[in-house]
Amino acid sequence: MIQVNDLYFSYTTKPFIEAMNFTVEKGEIFGFLGPSGAGKSTLQKILLGMLPGYRGSAIVNGTECRHRTNRFYENIGVDFEFSTMYEKLSARENLQFFSSLYEKSGRPIEELLEMVGLQNDADKRVADFSKGMKSRLNFIKALLHDPALLFLDEPTSGLDPANNRMMKDLILEEKKREKTILLTTHNMQDATELCDRVAFIANGKIYALDSPHNLIMSKGATRVTYTWMDHGEHTASCPIDRLSGDEVLQKLIAQNRLKSIHSSEPTLNDIFMEITGRTLL
Amino acid sequence: MKAICKSFWQMLSFVKRDMMLFAACAAPVLAGIIIRLGVPLLEDKLAKWLELPRILTPFYGLFDLFYAMIAPTMFCFVTAMVMLEEHDDRIDEYLIVTGLGKSGYLASRVFLPAAIAFVVTLVLLPLFHLTELTVLETLFLSLTGTLQGSIIELLIVTLSSNKLEGMAITKMATMMILGAFLPYFMSHPIQYVASILPSFWAAKAIYEQNVLFMLPAVGTAGVWIGCLLMIHATHPHQK
Repeated sequence: MIQVNDLYFSYTTKPFIEAMNFTVEKGEIFGFLGPSGAGKSTLQKILLGMLPGYRGSAIVNGTECRHRTNRFYENIGVDFEFSTMYEKLSARENLQFFSSLYEKSGRPIEELLEMVGLQNDADKRVADFSKGMKSRLNFIKALLHDPALLFLDEPTSGLDPANNRMMKDLILEEKKREKTILLTTHNMQDATELCDRVAFIANGKIYALDSPHNLIMSKGATRVTYTWMDHGEHTASCPIDRLSGDEVLQKLIAQNRLKSIHSSEPTLNDIFMEITGRTLL
Repeated sequence: MKAICKSFWQMLSFVKRDMMLFAACAAPVLAGIIIRLGVPLLEDKLAKWLELPRILTPFYGLFDLFYAMIAPTMFCFVTAMVMLEEHDDRIDEYLIVTGLGKSGYLASRVFLPAAIAFVVTLVLLPLFHLTELTVLETLFLSLTGTLQGSIIELLIVTLSSNKLEGMAITKMATMMILGAFLPYFMSHPIQYVASILPSFWAAKAIYEQNVLFMLPAVGTAGVWIGCLLMIHATHPHQK
């Protein structure tokens, strides 16, 4: 679906995107994970054909992005981080207009509104919508022409837990419909939960690319942390694969003196820090 | 083409909901009535009061020229304001990644409104003119007026990053039409300082009754539009 080879891009004389190589398969949710200013949005703009002045190759749906025509967008849906609606128009009027810009007939507006629970607010002005409602409306706007490829930029940013959950379920629903989804985020929980593979991006480079599970497992083993009382509370931890060699733990178990014990895996954020030397936030 | 037409209709529906923009679209008709009826009346009163045979009559051609520029400029101002509002709401960024595309967006917001402004000026100018205009002169005046309006629109959307700045830039950009005064009020060599302005050449064509001056008017307008489109394409907000 997407093939990127030796991609370079710069706004100035200094490279902003350097030597990027990756492919995205059909039906995959692929995440670009990185802090603000890492190059995620620039990469997305290149793949959307908005920045044709790149070097190397970026092929989306069989089209080199710098040579895209308007037909290129017939099979691409975009959900920007910010709302891109006519605030003075109703939700229905917005959807009807944006739907009319495509040659494909696409999905019925009523069905999409119902899917995100906005069927009763369809005739309300977008200016009167809450942030969560705008996010959901923005999302279904990207689905109007039933594209095979979706670009989602920080789709859960700033949402309350209920809307966050709903948005993630909607994304997973689209995956079931065999859509290919490119997710740009700095939220490691979203990436872990949604993405089949993630690329760690920092300073315009890809530092690692794999499934969230593999990245976590390859870089950090699960650790066991335990506490006990001995003239005050003490805490110690040990890698899970070396538990049998931890004499203190063996002794505490034998004496039934453990106060607590739990295992913890490193998060994607921990792995990101370890690999890139930067935090995601 | 379907997407361009839909996008254009969307702009008209947007204008219908905005009283200021809607009123701006009606302004050319109002200005035409004022010029057609008010200026000869004023000339009559002034001539009697000052006891002179003619005061404004030698400048009737200038009034026609200004009218030919005001009518399309108002339409182009309206589309510029719509574009800036779309930019404020970041809708322009979204529209260029739809079936409309960047070229379709520019076509629906710059070229199609300019074509309609040209036709409207062709209709209004013969209704509200003060001098006798040949068909060729009417055509050229409508064309240069439309090109001048497009230059002002592109100056507004290229130099402003929001609607508020757009209002300020509009005042500055419309000063371009002042080049029309020079052939009437400046001596021959000095007036050429305004030769980069299409309005100067259009005024020269009317003042010197030489339609050939319309060619540099169209030529300079073409250069302005070409340069502004190039700057717009590489404008920072599009990155």
